[in-house]
This record gives sequence, C-alpha cells and structure tokens, in this order.
Amino acid sequence: MIDKYSALEKLGLYTAIGIFLTFMLLPFVEMLLASLRPLTHLFRSPYQFWSDDMSLQAYSDIWVTVPKLPRYIFNSVFLASMTTLICMVFVVPAAYAYARFQFRGKAVSLALFLAVNMFAGAVLLIPLYKLLRGMGLLNTYWAMIIPGAAFLVPTGIYLLKSFLEKIPKELEEAAFVDGASRLYTLRRVILPLAVPGLIVVGVYSFIGAYAQQFLFAITFNQKRDYMPLPAGIFEFIGYQEVIWNQMMAASIIGILPVLFIFLFLQKFLMAGLTAGAVKS
Amino acid sequence: MATVALQNISKSFDDTQVLNNINLSIEDREFIVFVGPSGCGKTTLLRIIAGLEEASEGQIIIDGEDVSSAHPVDRGISMVFQSYALYPHLSVFENIAFPLRVAKVPEAELNQRVEHAANILQLTNRLQHKPGQLSGGQRQRVAIGRSIVRNPKVFLFDEPLSNLDAALRGDMRVELASLHQDLNATMIYVTHDQVEAMTMADKIVVINGGNVEQFGTPMELYHHPETQFVAGFIGQPNMNFISSTRTASTATNCSIKADGIGALTLPVSSCVGKEGDSLCLGIRPEDLSLTSSGQGFEMQVKVLERLGGSAIAYGTINSQVSGEQSFKAVLPGDVQVSPGQHIHLQVNPDKCHLFTSQGDAMHRLKAEV
Ligand SMILES: Nc1ncnc2c1ncn2[C@@H]1O[C@H](COP(=O)(O)OP(=O)(O)O)[C@@H](O)[C@H]1O
Ligand SMILES: [Mg+2]
Repeated sequence: MIDKYSALEKLGLYTAIGIFLTFMLLPFVEMLLASLRPLTHLFRSPYQFWSDDMSLQAYSDIWVTVPKLPRYIFNSVFLASMTTLICMVFVVPAAYAYARFQFRGKAVSLALFLAVNMFAGAVLLIPLYKLLRGMGLLNTYWAMIIPGAAFLVPTGIYLLKSFLEKIPKELEEAAFVDGASRLYTLRRVILPLAVPGLIVVGVYSFIGAYAQQFLFAITFNQKRDYMPLPAGIFEFIGYQEVIWNQMMAASIIGILPVLFIFLFLQKFLMAGLTAGAVKS
Repeated sequence: MATVALQNISKSFDDTQVLNNINLSIEDREFIVFVGPSGCGKTTLLRIIAGLEEASEGQIIIDGEDVSSAHPVDRGISMVFQSYALYPHLSVFENIAFPLRVAKVPEAELNQRVEHAANILQLTNRLQHKPGQLSGGQRQRVAIGRSIVRNPKVFLFDEPLSNLDAALRGDMRVELASLHQDLNATMIYVTHDQVEAMTMADKIVVINGGNVEQFGTPMELYHHPETQFVAGFIGQPNMNFISSTRTASTATNCSIKADGIGALTLPVSSCVGKEGDSLCLGIRPEDLSLTSSGQGFEMQVKVLERLGGSAIAYGTINSQVSGEQSFKAVLPGDVQVSPGQHIHLQVNPDKCHLFTSQGDAMHRLKAEV
C-alpha cells in the first residue's frame, strides 16, 4: 500500500498512539518502579521517578513474607493450563462443525453462544455458586476451571471457525475421494493446517483464563492451597500496613508467564485475530 | 478396466435444475472429454460420477454395477481437482502416499508404489519437497500421482490444465495422452477448452445448459455437428454463421440464398419445409479459398493474424439485413493482404453446414466421414 499520509498527519497519528500507549503502560511502569523501591520511600514527596536506593530486595523478600507463593504461582499456571486444555477439547469439534456442516439452528445457537459473552462473569457469580455447590465442587480446582472454560468456549469457537473456513473444502473432498474418514481427515489434514488458529485460540484461552481466575478463586474457593496468585497476593495486605513493594514484585512475577506467551506468539495472534477479515 | 454408464442423471440445487436427464455410455479404456461453456454443469456431472455429489435422479453404473450411492473408493474412481487440492503441509511423497496410508498399505509396498508413480511422472527428485516449492506443472503431476497410486478403474479430471500457462498446457496435453496409453484406464476429463477436447479425446461429450448436445468422436463432431451450438463450439477459429432463406429443396439437396454470399445449393438430406423459411448457413473459416475479383463474394479484412503456415483474416462481409456482418477466413500463410483491403472468397457447397431456425443440423451427404 502506498503511504498516503502527509508529515503533519503522521505527527498527529504518532502523538495519538503515544498518548494511548502512555495511558496503557504507565501503570506497569509505576508497578515496576514501586517493586524496586524500599517500602519507606514509596510515599515520599516530592515524587521521584528514579532514585539511587532502588534494589531487587523485594523480589527476594516476597518468598519469606508469603511462604506459599510458589504454590500460588503453580496454581495459577496449572488452572490456566487446565482451563485452556478443556476449552480446546470443546472448541475444536464445535468450531469444525460450525465451519463445515449445515444443521438446523446453526445461526441461532452460534448467536446464543456469543450472547453468553455479553454477561460479565460477575453477573453470573451467584447462580454459578449455587450450581457448583449443588455439584459439590466448591473449594476444588474444578470450581475455578469449569466456569473459566465455559466463559472462553464461545469466543474460541468463533475464532477457530473463521480459521477453519479458510481451509479449502477441496482438500477435504480430495481426502474423502481417497477414502479417508472425517476424523482421519480432521487429524491429518485439517488440524495440521489449523495450527496457527489453534495457537491463537490456545493463547486467547490461556490469557483469558489467567485473567479471570481471580474472580472465581475468591468466590468459589476458600482453600489456601488451591488459590491462584492473584488471590494469594492478598496476603501482602497485613493488619498494620500493605507491603506495597513486595506486592508489586509478586504481581510482576505473576504477569510474566502471560507476557512471555504473548511476546512469543504475537505474530500468530495478530494474523489470527484478523483472519477472514479480508479475502485472500 | 471399466465401463461407465450414466442413466437419466438429473441434478437440481434447490430450485435450479443444473443437469437434465443425462444418458451416456462410456466404453472401457476410453478417454472421454466433457466440454462446454463455463457454468453448463460439467463439474457437477463429474462430481456426481465421483460420488461427491448425489444425483437428484438417475443411476451411475460402473462395470455393470449400480454405484449410485457407493463411496468414491468403492466406485473405483479417483479425481484430480481443478485447484489440485494438494495438502500443503505434507511432502510430495506423503501427498502421493495419502490414499495408501488411508488404506493402511504396508510400508514396503507403499514405498514401491509411490516411487513407481513418481517415476512415471518424473517427480523422483522432488519427493521430499513441499507443494509450495513446486512449479504449477509439478503440482499438477503430484495431483495426478496421488490419483494413479491407487490404481483406480476410472480417472476423473476437472479442468486440470486451466491453471497452467499456454506452453505448459501443450506439454501436459501430450503427457496426459501418453499417460492414458500407459495406464490403460478409463478417463473422464472436463474442460471448457475445445482445443483440449479435440486433441485428447477418443470421444467428446458437448454439454450446454445441463443437456448433452452431442456425444461422438472429435471428427464426427467436426464434420457432423448435430446442432448449431456444437458447430460453433468445435473448431478453431469457430464457424461463420450466415442467415439464409430457402429457395428450393429436393430429397438430396437444398438451395438457399445466403445473406452477403449469394445462391448456394447444398447436398443435405431431410431439408423439409417451405420456400422462404429462414435457415442458417455455417461455413468453417478453413473451408474458404481465395479467388479472383468478379467471382465468389467479397470480404473486407480488418485484422490479419499470421500464424506462419496459415493466416486468419477477421473482417466483414456485406449484409442485406444488418449492413455488414463479421466473418473469418483462413488463408494461406504468405497471403498478400493488408488490413482494410477487400478479398474475394469462394466456398465449396459440399463443405457447408445448414441449420434450421431451431438450430438443428441437416445431415450433410458429401462430408468426409
Ligand atoms: N453447490 C451448489 N449449489 C448451488 N448451485 C450450484 C452448486 N454447484 C454448482 N452450482 C450451479 O450449477 C451450475 C453448474 O455448475 P458447474 O457444474 O460448476 O459448471 P461448470 O463446471 O460447467 O463450469 C452453475 O450455474 C452453478 O452456479
Ligand atoms: Mg467447473
């Protein structure tokens, strides 16, 4: 595409992007700086952006203040991974069916799925609580995994469906003519070609699961051993004071897994989220 | 080793009828070409034979067995798709081996059969490449390789050469023809290109608007087109059609007055009707010859295409109806004519075709075959 912006327009665009990014990223910068400062210097005035007494002390102290921190981190990653796995198990066949089969109620059911996403998880907390209590799942890992997966499946289906629709139908027909069953074709032809789409849905689910587990953890679980990191961070709030710098340090460690996944896979992610937007 | 018979095949998608009551009987080891304009239903008919689409009515008989609702593999067919439909993530070897893997053929035999196919198609040193690394002609060969490795009874090709450039298409035509001889199989080949049909087919099926217009050998279609559509479709450059009126007729000939050409008496049978009926005269451009001025009829040349051995003149002849009407003639290669010039042409009535106003051909009595 030919660059059709004048210098002035470009300046405007970059300024807008700059302001937007500043708003988005400043909290993270402040979080990082806070984690590096001694607690006593956190609230000094005037505000200093950079000071000489910064250190990584908080990053070693957190393990002492909250001894169960490794457990919480493990729980977080475990919960997000399990949620992603279960989500994928449901998304793959459903997306394939929506992409390839004609059946009654296809459009309606797809719309209903997406309508579920309109409700913020918080609206459904009380019904979910009753449901999970009825099934005896409160205070287990499942209480955080099942609702998490349920909320991620609809968008996952939608994302993967648009991916699968781009795989030419003739490939399946060729396999059919050669005697392959649907499942064989799915395994040997469709899924290998859908890998970028599977990665997109996987990353989307993992990040989504990681972000929403806090809500489910504090409502459906009271066992400290099952708590994910976002809930475990509460332990930095003491009776007397909040150990802000350590809390920030633990939070940064908490977002690292998501950050890494995102950085490594963002190429796929960008391609995937716009899949089907333009005809190739 | 297979005969294929189509009996009363019809197909409609929702309310639109795409194929009307198709009947065909294909002999063992024949190379059959379905030819017709885009959208006439060729692909649909091929997909019905393949088992990818179900006919709304009618039966498909392969080797005397009704396979109308059988799986493609049980029909013993294999198909080469217009887009090749190669699996982009698999190597050439695995693409060709795919049908054998599905059938769980033992590894040693699988290797041997894939190598054999690769040998025939000159793909031996490409086996480890991915389809994306191949040229159009090589991809085409991989698609063919995947279809021959299973030793099917009937090969189906859907416009396999349409994605190739002209030079490669010529080469692949020859390769496919020799492949047909080597494999000794029945082949059904779909194309919209009448040159492919004429050059490759044992028999051609001309399809138009979901109907079989005519079924016959290339030369039968060339010399005895049954309809005006077939006459216009087969032959390159295509036939000139000139509106005419009947002046007199007997059992063995028909006299007409052709617009812009004059009076002609054609040796045709079954020329029933009355004087003044409008008819359509068909003259193939290659059946015209130059004559001196004062004889024959006059054509104004607008464009001259020199092919070397021959030249095609495009221009107009005078017409009482529309002032002038476009006309083509094949001339000797070194003819001394320049655009804008008038030339004089004559035509041998024995070589002319005559059609009723409904487009049905009258039988020619002095044709070559
Ligand atoms: N799956 C389908 N649904 C509806 N109409 C179709 C379908 N497939 C083909 N057609 C219609 O059938 C007609 C013949 O198509 P096709 O067999 O592909 O023609 P050809 O191969 O001769 O160009 C076309 O008018 C096309 O629009
Ligand atoms: Mg077609």
